[in-house]
Amino acid sequence: MNRFLAPFRVTNPMIRKELRQRLRERRAWLLPFLYLLVLSGTVAFCYYMVVQEGARRGSELQGADIGQAVFYTVIFTQLAVLLLMAPVFSAGAITIEKEQRTLAGLLTSLLSAPQIWWGKFVSALLYLLLLLSSALPLLALSFAFGGVEPVALLKATGALILVLSSICAVGLWCSATFRRSVHSTAAGYAIVLVFTIVTAVVFGILLSQWEQTRMGGRQDFPPVYVQAPLFLNPVYPFLSMLDDADLRKFAFPVSSNLLFAALGLLAAAFAMRRLQRSGEHL
Amino acid sequence: MIEIDALRKNYRGVRGLNGFSLRMDRGDLVGLVGPNGAGKSTLIKILATLLPADSGSARVSGEDVAKTPAAVRSAVGYLPDVPGVYQDMRIGEFLEFFADAFRLKEPGRSAAVERALCLAGLADRRDDFVEHLSLGWKQRLHLAKTLLHGPRVLLLDEPATGLDPLARIALREQLRQLHAAGITILISSHILADLEDICTRIVFIADGKNVSEVQPAASVHGAMLHCEIEWEGSVEAAERFLAAIPGAAILEKKGNWRRIELPGGAPQASSLLRGLLDAGLTVLHFDARGPGLEERYRRTFGGPRP
Repeated sequence: MNRFLAPFRVTNPMIRKELRQRLRERRAWLLPFLYLLVLSGTVAFCYYMVVQEGARRGSELQGADIGQAVFYTVIFTQLAVLLLMAPVFSAGAITIEKEQRTLAGLLTSLLSAPQIWWGKFVSALLYLLLLLSSALPLLALSFAFGGVEPVALLKATGALILVLSSICAVGLWCSATFRRSVHSTAAGYAIVLVFTIVTAVVFGILLSQWEQTRMGGRQDFPPVYVQAPLFLNPVYPFLSMLDDADLRKFAFPVSSNLLFAALGLLAAAFAMRRLQRSGEHL
Repeated sequence: MIEIDALRKNYRGVRGLNGFSLRMDRGDLVGLVGPNGAGKSTLIKILATLLPADSGSARVSGEDVAKTPAAVRSAVGYLPDVPGVYQDMRIGEFLEFFADAFRLKEPGRSAAVERALCLAGLADRRDDFVEHLSLGWKQRLHLAKTLLHGPRVLLLDEPATGLDPLARIALREQLRQLHAAGITILISSHILADLEDICTRIVFIADGKNVSEVQPAASVHGAMLHCEIEWEGSVEAAERFLAAIPGAAILEKKGNWRRIELPGGAPQASSLLRGLLDAGLTVLHFDARGPGLEERYRRTFGGPRP
């Protein structure tokens, strides 16, 4: 394996250490339980609503309708819950080493900054992936009802992993930058808030301006420059997957994915750089 | 083994090191002494590759700390003032992790871990969690971890901070053994008695510069002698006798107690005691040693006498 890729080997001792420590925490076992409880509750609620809506309309309810509703409910709930959890697992990962005075030991060993970063990143992401995969039985429900293509599941899972990876990378950058876990976690949440809320608000402003100026124009969906702020919104890649004419205008999921990938790589590079220079604060 | 030349380091306008230079040979055990903020920790962190210097050069075991940090880390063991340990790891796991972090391969890896466990006196507590250890034991574990990869140089930054007297004695003994094994040691500490006891050389540092270099009292022969005398009887007779000794100076006096400085060594101390007895004084206390490290520290940094 070449020198550049060497820090990212699975035999990296940091990965073993991080996973061991993470799975020893009480929350490591409590969180999947709570996570599945929330998802199950949401799915049950969604099922109830869909059935009620069908009964209200008096039309015969199709299995595919339930399947799609369950699928998108699980995906969006997972996105929301995991976006809330990602900063907790990543933003405290390096600051905890500073707080318990162990970072000096790592930096004076033969572990490189990329190795340390990779260990922290893999550990945080793997835990989120554990939660993600624990919801597979619930997603399987949607396939039992029908109406969902396996490719939709692959697309949604891929987009989720990409978004979570980027958020974890940003969280680790916060963790490398700040000295205290409380500060870096707050910064991580602030960034997630900017991605989810602020981008939506900016999009809303641009959209209303565009709608005022397009009077009589032919285009009936917002152009790229209006949608651009939403590319940084974690929800955006999933909107185009929904079977809804109004939402199909959000037709640039690849741009959004590329932006998240670039953001993650940038955050990783800055985090490793900060980590290398963190000796001053020890 | 360690060559430091005109090292400078500023932290956001605050001076850490200001042209510090030092040379240590293989097997030296050098104590670094100075007031808080003198630059001791900065120097040790630069040598441990945790901090980059602004200018100057530092080489450890022939390797430049700025240009080949990985080679320096292979040769160096760094022990900070607070032993950073993973509380939620077992003692054996902690050592195994650092053995991997130093890229030790089997069978040397297992042997190094066993050796470290024995060195720390924790061989029978391998499966205990680190959080159950007292500070003294954590420090021992940390020192054992520091020695896992067989460093040729040890950099110890206030290693005795927070240790109880017994743990301090044990640490001192360990350092003496490591020194005897040929490991070069640079140790910073405020506990002057410990340094005086184990160091071969002591460097005074202030404002980022080495102010002076001394040898501990135990290894000084034929220099200045410091005596503490307490007697029963006439003060005038004692004063007359002391005033008659050529080169003697009274440093402190309190009733029938004097601390004096006079040139010479052990023979002069014997003559002094004999003279006091011959003068008809009943000597209650007589302590003759060279100026202690504490005294030299006071002289160097101008602190008040007790």
